[in-house]
Amino acid sequence: MAGIWIIAETREQALELLGAGRSLAPGMGAALTAIVRKEAGPPEETIARGADEVFLLPELPPDQPFGAHLPVIEQEAKAVSPDVILFISSARGKEMAARLAARLGAGLCSGCTALAFDKASGSIRMERLAYGGAAIQKLTSSAKPVVVTVPPRSFEPAQTMDGRQGKTRELPSPPPSAVRILERKPKEKVAKDITEARVIVCAGRGFDRKEDLALARELADALGGELGATRPLTEEMHWLPEDLCIGLSGVQVKPELYVGLGVSGQIQHMTGVRGAKIVCAVNRDENAPIFALSDFGIVGSLYEVVPKIIEELKK
Amino acid sequence: MPIVVACFKWVVDEAYIRKGSDGKLDFSAVDYKIGEYDRNAIEEAARLRDAGGGGSVIGITVGAPDSAKGVKDGLSRGMDQAFFASDPSFKDLEPSQTAAILAEVIRTRIPQFDLITCGEGSSDLYAQQVGPRLAELLGIPCVCFVQKLSLEGGKLVADRRVEDGIEVVEAPLPALVTVLPDINTPRIPGVKDTLMAGKKPVTAIKKDELAGSFEGTLKTEAMTASSLERTGEKLAADAAGIARFVDSLRKSGVIR
Repeated sequence: MAGIWIIAETREQALELLGAGRSLAPGMGAALTAIVRKEAGPPEETIARGADEVFLLPELPPDQPFGAHLPVIEQEAKAVSPDVILFISSARGKEMAARLAARLGAGLCSGCTALAFDKASGSIRMERLAYGGAAIQKLTSSAKPVVVTVPPRSFEPAQTMDGRQGKTRELPSPPPSAVRILERKPKEKVAKDITEARVIVCAGRGFDRKEDLALARELADALGGELGATRPLTEEMHWLPEDLCIGLSGVQVKPELYVGLGVSGQIQHMTGVRGAKIVCAVNRDENAPIFALSDFGIVGSLYEVVPKIIEELKK
Repeated sequence: MPIVVACFKWVVDEAYIRKGSDGKLDFSAVDYKIGEYDRNAIEEAARLRDAGGGGSVIGITVGAPDSAKGVKDGLSRGMDQAFFASDPSFKDLEPSQTAAILAEVIRTRIPQFDLITCGEGSSDLYAQQVGPRLAELLGIPCVCFVQKLSLEGGKLVADRRVEDGIEVVEAPLPALVTVLPDINTPRIPGVKDTLMAGKKPVTAIKKDELAGSFEGTLKTEAMTASSLERTGEKLAADAAGIARFVDSLRKSGVIR
């Protein structure tokens, strides 16, 4: 029997991957195996939500990274040869997916945005973005296994079904990894989660000084939204936390409204807002690429235009 | 005095890709560049060499013969020498193939090194696979998404960024890291750097000098233009334009 594996660190990841796995399983006639940390929830729930089998990853010593599980997962994979192995494209997921694919001599579709089984050819069809989001790459795999990473929130979390049963097994502890964790610094939660925001006002390089971001914030408040940023502002200037960086290598957002202020509209950034219902812009350069990628926009200095928009909104 | 191997890729500058009328990608006006993230990998290698009081940076790339320009570009960015594995068939490789070729070059031609640096992803495919795959093929420790790095006493200490914060990790050398863009600010080569680059040694390697078939595992069926275009109505920054802007927002129903 064909097999689909999901490998998850957290409950949220497990549910989304079960959703993805269940979209493939019936067509493939495959069993769904969930390889999860105990933090991902009780095995009964994982089974109720679609897993036919749960492999629990044992708890690791505090200095061991998630990647330490790799040799054990590799061994299991070589023993049962699953057809598809799914990960969420988180930092740890992406690293482990690539390392596992290398060990298995398998292909890996990174950042997979569409996933289907083609019964006629017996192959897996996948889509992903390339060239900073300017292109869609369509891939197929006929070899097994194929490893796939899917961006967070691309699949609906799997729902509970009645009367499901499955087996649970604990995987053995792995040997110590050469990479050791000396310290974990949890993220300070300074920023709101913009992936859930209904309205996002995004600040770009058109802002001259950090203090001027108050203007963007003011507009965000007037619209009942949150502040986002382009990469130069978070990674070069460090004006805003990296969680607010929107784009292919940052967060991908799906607000009802996106307003880009002083944002030029580079493809890597705009790809991150392609799910927005309305995109609009204020930029003083009428040739800025963002205008073609917006529903409407104002050509003008954000310093002059934004206060007037706020005023107009109050009317 | 560390020997650092920096991997880089000569890629299409995506800013010049146009969308053809048939929905295909139009590469007719494109220029090429060293991948943005790879510039950080080269800079970090150079920084570690300089911080270590010597050593060297060995650049390595895989590509079609016309990537030779990229080799010179890379040498102007702080590398001391370069290995260039080229073949007409080394165009549009899958990450698994690129990693296998890099591994073969390193295994057979770079007998001793302390560290391999890669960008977090290539600017074209951004599959983020080559680094970790290469580490596995060479059987060395791998630390991805590093934003701060130092070498001391035969090991590396790195801050790696993960979703829930930072993991400060250590690993014995030789090892491989992939670096994030905020780890450093890559230099912009000056005229002197460009002149010097032409004098640095380059070892060209042909496909038949490498052992292995480097077969791919996935098949790219199509590469089509994505459609991000919207109506793109431009308004003036006058009272009428602002009123229309706000009115359009209201009519779209996104303001509550």
